[in-house]
Formats: sequence, structure tokens, C-alpha cells
Amino acid sequence: MKVFILTLISSGLVLIVLNVGYYREWFNAKPSQYWFDFLKEKDDPGDEVAIKKTRYGIVYTISMRVKEVVEKKNMPHAVILFEPNSYYRDSLKIYGNIRAPEPAVFYYYTGLQGVWTNSPDVKKANFIVRITKNKGVTLDEIKSPQQLQRILDGFKKYPPIL
Amino acid sequence: MPILIYLFLLVCYWLSGFGILTLFRIRLKPAYMVTLALLLGVAVASFVPFLLQLLYIVITGPTVFGAMVLVTLLLNIPSFLRMRESGISVFTRPFGPVRFRVRPYEIPYWLIIGFLIFVSVWRCYYLPPTSRDALSGPETIAEYTVREQSMINSFFGLDLSSTNNQFKSPFLVSLQVIYKLAGFPFGQVWLSVIFISFTVFLYHFLRERLHPVLAGLLLLLFMMTPEIYAYTFMILYDYSNMVFFCLGLYFLWMGLSAGGTGSPPHASVATPGSNNSSLRYPGSPAMISFAGLLLGIATYIRSETLILVVLFLPVIFWAQWRGAAGDRAKASGDNRLRVSGSVLKKMALTGFFFLLPSLVGYYLTVPLYVGHYLPVHYDVGGLVNNHLSDWHPLLQRYGDIIRQLLLGTFAIHLWGYLFYITCALFVADLVFVRRFSREARFWLYAILLTYLALGLLGFVFPLFNLTETTKRALFKIMPLLVFYLANNELLLRLSRWLARWEISRGGKVAVAGVVPGGAVTTKGAPATGRLKAAGAPPARGAGSGSTKGTPPARGTGTPGTSPARGAGTTGKNDGSSAGNSRKKNRKK
Repeated sequence: MKVFILTLISSGLVLIVLNVGYYREWFNAKPSQYWFDFLKEKDDPGDEVAIKKTRYGIVYTISMRVKEVVEKKNMPHAVILFEPNSYYRDSLKIYGNIRAPEPAVFYYYTGLQGVWTNSPDVKKANFIVRITKNKGVTLDEIKSPQQLQRILDGFKKYPPIL
Repeated sequence: MPILIYLFLLVCYWLSGFGILTLFRIRLKPAYMVTLALLLGVAVASFVPFLLQLLYIVITGPTVFGAMVLVTLLLNIPSFLRMRESGISVFTRPFGPVRFRVRPYEIPYWLIIGFLIFVSVWRCYYLPPTSRDALSGPETIAEYTVREQSMINSFFGLDLSSTNNQFKSPFLVSLQVIYKLAGFPFGQVWLSVIFISFTVFLYHFLRERLHPVLAGLLLLLFMMTPEIYAYTFMILYDYSNMVFFCLGLYFLWMGLSAGGTGSPPHASVATPGSNNSSLRYPGSPAMISFAGLLLGIATYIRSETLILVVLFLPVIFWAQWRGAAGDRAKASGDNRLRVSGSVLKKMALTGFFFLLPSLVGYYLTVPLYVGHYLPVHYDVGGLVNNHLSDWHPLLQRYGDIIRQLLLGTFAIHLWGYLFYITCALFVADLVFVRRFSREARFWLYAILLTYLALGLLGFVFPLFNLTETTKRALFKIMPLLVFYLANNELLLRLSRWLARWEISRGGKVAVAGVVPGGAVTTKGAPATGRLKAAGAPPARGAGSGSTKGTPPARGTGTPGTSPARGAGTTGKNDGSSAGNSRKKNRKK
């Protein structure tokens, strides 16, 4: 009987913890949600790329599109320039929904070298990823050092940020 | 195939960890041995690709797994040598007796904790690493290590001006490499080994001190700290660092409480050719060295842990000094704190072997690896605050940690209510009980020291920012809160009351003698969990029971507490013994 009472007590304590204050909010938003995710994921596990797309979101998708285009153009030494995130934040007001990846992270996703406008190797950039509200994402070729310099001058007031 | 390799790795971890435990001659309950062996095994594995890199050996499947087997064998050489004399018992003897009993009222906790573990393990397995700190450093290095067979790879040719994560410990890189080589594209699953092992360890620790109803509740509160739970499936350094740091402190406490009047309650260090009682002064050198090893691993994972380890040296010196002076006072009646040169030498040696692993852990990762192996330069000196004479930011940091990270809405989102509950019980202890046991004092000291050290680190290194680095470094404090709560006198009293009520008949509480942690014994019974007939000599310092005629109901006679608890508790001034025990001990 006492064991039964103690079992009731411990069950009650568990229920209290799960339903009190922030614990309730967190438990519903996180572990419970993860459980429902699991129920979906176990039936449709997806391949590595699909999982990464889901997990890393739009930045990963853009990076992989860039990779596809570069591979199609057969440019083994492509160096991709990214616009500064402060430009997306201050000018386009799209920062948060979209952001340029760090060179290290872009390399992890694609195996391609990426540079920011303040990178030491920025002079090697021969492609630029442009994101606009109208055209979406485009990959443009940089054809001359002068063109590259003009691009960099245009971004002078936008320092790269994470 | 990956599952087979996963099992192979688990066996390697267990054996290499077991080898280390055997080298330190540590004997614990099986739950501790298994979990500790696995944790140590993961730590050993995290050195393997790193060492291969240091020796400029290519990092491939055969070299990594071959080296792991080799290391496992090397660590078990003493056991193999003894096997010729003692047979297979070499591998079974270090384990204490298996006396774990599941009680129905533990099951609700197990279900919810099992659920939390399952969800965490699945996410670890299924989802790729996502934290920016991992992606811009160790994860990418690991990915290209597998492709290019070297940890010094094309990653370092990139523009890394936006990150400093390439300079962090090779712990993460090495483990990611092992699991990627094993066929897990996202690695990560090693984190679940650490998570589960630590959870099991913590549960057993709590169960030894508290009634299972309270032990399960505390573990659940710890598991439901949102921020820490997130890091059980998101690879970074902080969760692993927390685990090894807290275990290191746990064994430091064990080492400090060993010797003198007996061995620690549920662990022992068998010194060669002697038994535990030969440990004369507080401070069992082998156990303290083992604590140093665990803290060394924590330093290897996060190099700034070295500062915390150094700050614990005075505790060791103080305990040894007092122990030696106490013995001298007993022998000569001289109460002055004077100790001989041999004791000073012993203190120095103990301190050295405690600190050595952390120094090695720091040297390997920072001066050697970052300074001499990485092709990119990292100027640690340039990161130091240039205005160290201005202490205002230091005080500001201490205030910010309290205001922003420990109290308020954001703190609840980080840690749940664990910190608030601990504060409430601490204040209640302070007001109603007005004394703390030695162990409780140790954990309170550890919490305070960690807090002070983290503030200091933020002051000295401005890069050690508040909302990211300090927040994650605060992980280390959370298990310490649980360790303290397990020694909170009010909880201990409640635990003892529950234990007495549970075994009493007809609803009357019939047992008066209770050992620390809620173990109930009858008069004259040793506190080893086995009940003897009345009249047998009481166990030393174990708060021997005092209830005549209480039937030895069920073998162990200690609901919810380990029978081993109390089997040699120091017995003096523990403060958590029942009143009768204290009186008896004072007379002694």
C-alpha cells in the first residue's frame, strides 16, 4: 500500500513538474515537438541532402544551387563573393530571413571557396551571389578586376557581419 | 554496418575506460564503473585521431580504429598480467556487489526521463550539427579530415577572419572524425554516450543519498534545464566539459573525504599492499589524482577550465593540512596547526598529481596544437583585457551573471527553476537548520568558486562574453546544484522520514536510527546495508541505528538508498547524521 502511495506521489510530482510554469511551455515546444518530428522522420527518413536542406534551411539551399551552377560552368577555381549581411539588414531589410554564409560554413556545405568583402582573398573572387527582392538569388560572373573593385566600393558602407 | 562499428566503439570505450579505472585501482558500484568506463573511453577515443595527427600519421579508418584497439590493449596490460594469476576475476573483481533494486515509485521518473533521453538520442542520430560554432570550426575540420586524411587540411586555407572556432580543442574534431569514419554522416552520436552515462551516474549518486522519490525528482529537474538539454544533442564543448568537470569535483570530494576515519561511503581506492584504512590523512592521493585526470579531460575539452582546477588546489592543501594537524593534535595534545616536512612534501605531491593532467590537457591543445601544428596563428595574449587594474567591469560582470543569467525570465528559459529551487532550499537550510555538512559545504564552495572564476574569465578575456560563452560555461554549475541538493539537510530529513515511513508497520514510524542519506538501520546493525542481529558492534561513524526490535525487513533495509552508503562515512561532524549518531560520534 505504501509503495502504491509513493508511486502516486512520484507520478503526481512528475505531472506537476511537466505542467508548472515555463516547464510546460518548454516541454510542449521542445521534447513533445521533437517526439512528433520523430514520428514523421522515422517513416520518411530522407537522404543526407534532404535532411541537411531541412535542417540548414535556405542558406544551405542557396549554397547548393551555387555549387550546381559552378559545376555546370565547369569552373574548378571559382571563388564566390557574398554580399555583406549588413547590406541585407540595413538596405534590403531581409536579414533574418536570409543571410550570406560565412566562408567556413559555405566551404562545409559546398567545398567551394567563398569570400566576404573584407577577406584577404577577395581579389580572387570571380563570382558574386546577389540577392534582390525582385530577382531572388542570382550568381553573376565577375569579369574584370575593375568590376570587382566597383562592387567592393559599393559595399564599403556595409561591413560584413555574421 | 554502422551499428556494428558503433557497438565495437562502445566495447572499446568500455574496455579502455575500465583499464584506466583499474590503473587507478578504483572500485565502485557497477553502475558507476560502467558509466565512468564509458565516459573515460569516449575521452580516450577523443585523443586518438589527435595523437595520430600529432605524430603525422594519416587519419584513415584502419589507422584510427587500429590505434583505438591498440590503446585499449595498452591500457589493459596490467589487467592482462594479473589475469595469469587471478583468471577472469580480474575483470569482475573491481565491481562492487550488484544490489540495485527497482521500486515501483521510480518508474514514473524513469518513463519521463527515458522519453527525454530517447528524443535526445534520436535527434543526435538523425539531425546534422547545426550550431554556428561547430559549423565554422570543428565540424568542417572533421569533414575535411575524413576527406583529406589530415586534421591540417584545406579548411585552413580559407578566410577564417569571421571565426576563432578553428582554434578550439581537437576533442570535437576527433570524435566527429571517428563517427564519420564509422559511417555516421553527421557524427554526433558519441554525445549520447556521454549524456546517458552521466544521467545514470547522477541518478545513482542521488539515490545513494536520497529516497528515490526525491532522487528522481531532482534528476528530472536537472534534465529539464532547457539549455543543457539542448546541448545533449547539439555538439559543442560545453556539455562534455560540464560532465568531466563535475565528475572531477565529485571524485575530488571522494578523495578528500577518504582516509582519516575511513574510506568514502561508496567508493574505495585500494592502494597496493594495503587496505583503505591505511589512508591516514584526509586526501586519498589516488582518488585525488583520478579527480585530477577527470579535470584534465575537462581542460582538454575547454582550456580555460585550467583556471578553475588551479582554484581547487587550496581545498586539497587545506584538507591535508587540517588532517595532518588533527592527527598531531591527537598524538601530542598540541592543537596548533603545525605539520612536518613530510606532510608538506605529501601535500605538494598530491597537488602536483592533481594539477598535472590539466596542465597536460592545456599544453596539448593550446601551446602544442594551436602554437605549433595549426597553420594559422592565434595570439592569445592579444585577447587579454588591457585594463586589468580597473575592477569596475569585473564587478559589473558578477552582477550581470546574477541579474541576466541566473535570475529573471531569461534565466528560467535557460535553467528552468532549478536555480530558484536550490536557492530556496539553501535559504531554508540556513534559517532552519543553520549548519551544513562537510559535503554540502564542499559543493557550495565549488558553486561559489565556479561563479567567481567565470566572472574573472569574462573580465580577463573580453571575448568570453556574457550571453554566449559565460552562459554555456554556467552549465558547470547546474550539476553542482544537484550535488548540493543531495546534501541539503532539509531534503535529507524528508528523505529519511520517507524511508522510515515506508518501512514502518501500521503507519507508525518505528525506526529512529538513520544514516546520512536516508539509509535506515536497526540498532547494532552495520551501515553496510546488511542487517545484523542486535548487539553486533555498530558500524563506525555511520550513524548506527537505534531501534530495538525493528525487524530486518528486506535484506538491505534501506529503501531507496544504496546499501553501501554509510559504510564508513567519516562519522565526525558530518552534520547530516541523525542526532543519535552525532552524540555517539562526539563521544568517540
